[in-house]
Amino acid sequence: MEDIIVVENLHKTYGKDLVAVDGISFRVKKGEVFGFLGPNGAGKSTTIKILTTLLEKTSGKATIDGFDVDADQSRVRRIIGYSSQDVGVDDDLTARENLLLQCSFHHIPKTQAKQKVDDLLQTVRLKDAADRRLKTFSGGMRKRLDLASSLVSDPEILFLDEPTTGLDPQSRQDIWDYVTQLNRKGMTIFLTTQYMEEADRLANRLCIVDQGKIVAEGTPAELKAQIGADKITIHFKSDDLSACEKAKELMSKLQGVEAVGQCGMGLAAENGLTITTKNGPSMLTQIVRTMDGAGIFMEQVNLSVPTLDEVFLKLTGKTLNVIERKEAVRTGRQRGR
Amino acid sequence: MKMEMLSEIAAIFSRWNTKLVRQPILIFFSLINPLVWFLLFTQAFSAIGNIPTFKLLTGTSSYITFFTAAVVIQTIASSALSAGIGLVNDLDSGFMDKMRVAPISKSSILFGKLFSDAITTVIQVVIILLIGLALGVHIASGVPGALMLLFISAAFGFSWSGISLFVALNTKSSQVTLSVGLLTTFPLLFLSAAVMPLGLLPSWVQQVAKVNPFTYVAQAFQTLIINGFVWQKIEYAFISIIIIGVIALGATILVFRKKIS
Repeated sequence: MEDIIVVENLHKTYGKDLVAVDGISFRVKKGEVFGFLGPNGAGKSTTIKILTTLLEKTSGKATIDGFDVDADQSRVRRIIGYSSQDVGVDDDLTARENLLLQCSFHHIPKTQAKQKVDDLLQTVRLKDAADRRLKTFSGGMRKRLDLASSLVSDPEILFLDEPTTGLDPQSRQDIWDYVTQLNRKGMTIFLTTQYMEEADRLANRLCIVDQGKIVAEGTPAELKAQIGADKITIHFKSDDLSACEKAKELMSKLQGVEAVGQCGMGLAAENGLTITTKNGPSMLTQIVRTMDGAGIFMEQVNLSVPTLDEVFLKLTGKTLNVIERKEAVRTGRQRGR
Repeated sequence: MKMEMLSEIAAIFSRWNTKLVRQPILIFFSLINPLVWFLLFTQAFSAIGNIPTFKLLTGTSSYITFFTAAVVIQTIASSALSAGIGLVNDLDSGFMDKMRVAPISKSSILFGKLFSDAITTVIQVVIILLIGLALGVHIASGVPGALMLLFISAAFGFSWSGISLFVALNTKSSQVTLSVGLLTTFPLLFLSAAVMPLGLLPSWVQQVAKVNPFTYVAQAFQTLIINGFVWQKIEYAFISIIIIGVIALGATILVFRKKIS
């Protein structure tokens, strides 16, 4: 697949010495969901603003579909959609009016615009609220409308800056579903997020960014693999040492198993047999089948896979959770860099 | 390209008009101050009309008739100088980014807003003129003169708004934008021929008044209200409006393009 976004050695400095983006490079393929994961202040919003022509880069290269984001602004603007962190909708207008206005910004003829707006309202489940002013809308509804408004031009690439920050779980799920749907239809999506779960759920590939630098890049699975293997722990009926020993022997012969731990009996919760493997989920069925065939009764089987949280912790020495909690104290108004 | 820009301006123009219709109270907001002046100041100072030279210089002995021009200017200025507030709100809400990412011209964003503000200004001036008529002010140039007065008002509001837009874009603060509006209007009004005919002003004030655009706009209004069509005064008004417009709006567009691209 061809690269639709190409960024090479991108720098952005505010004023004299506030470095927001410090020499990042990455490529996004056509049709993929590409994630930028990192805490606030990592340079995510700055990068997305440069790519969407809202900010001028200090140095480096950034092209969208071959067009330079600074030199060919108007060409870039014709093929992108952008949904910002602060929801860019007009509260005095109705949902329908907001979308019609966006249509006229994209020079869509009135007759076409009407149909398009109806379709979009349907997609984001705002048909019933279409003619209500936004003053009465919930955060989730506004975000859905904002997403719809970035889609009026049928963009080739959609940029989403923290699409679910501050949303309730149901609204978050809704946004995730739309993003997945859009991507299935072939839209390339570039999104920034500070949520591990979101990156893991949506992104085909992602960059982990911290302090203006990319600290890791890959598929979520690749990144997780960097910090270690999956662990499967089997617990047996209390103190059934013979079952455990038998299982240990069987497991060590199984293909795909990297290591088998010792049979520790005693306090049931911590003990049990630990199996290390590259691919936990697919090993799980094999293990169950093998045990079943040998007539070994298992009390409990646990699979633990590394999370992106752990990846972030390993790469940067800090956890995202702490940062998220700190950021949550700030008001939602703060404008991203 | 030209056609596209027209449709962009039309879209942004109608957006602001819709917002105005939804909150008609905003039309009256900036009218409060001028109205207080119109009703109280003219009563307290009505004796000014009895000064013999006043009639000689202005052609009327009714101070309220003379002062109507000042009230109209004050209305236009306070309306124009709050133009930037809408822009600040758009910057804060993220709506501005939405517009900037769309393939539309920066000037369209500004002109759509300015044309809508001009409508607001005309409505406000009509209200002021109607109140004036009720208070006994007679417009010598009749209906054509009143229309000319409205046209000058719209044009003056259009170019004077440039200052507010410029401040708004540079400070991104509605407080600062509003303060600049409040702090400039009164000194400029009293350092012009709007409140007192030039000949009755102290000589240093006269010097300032001669380079103050308020003077020329006020004199055009005054002649339309008191004397009828005096084209030279109307020309001077338009010349000062154009000069302000080119400077203020030119600077605003430059800043807008730079800040944002």
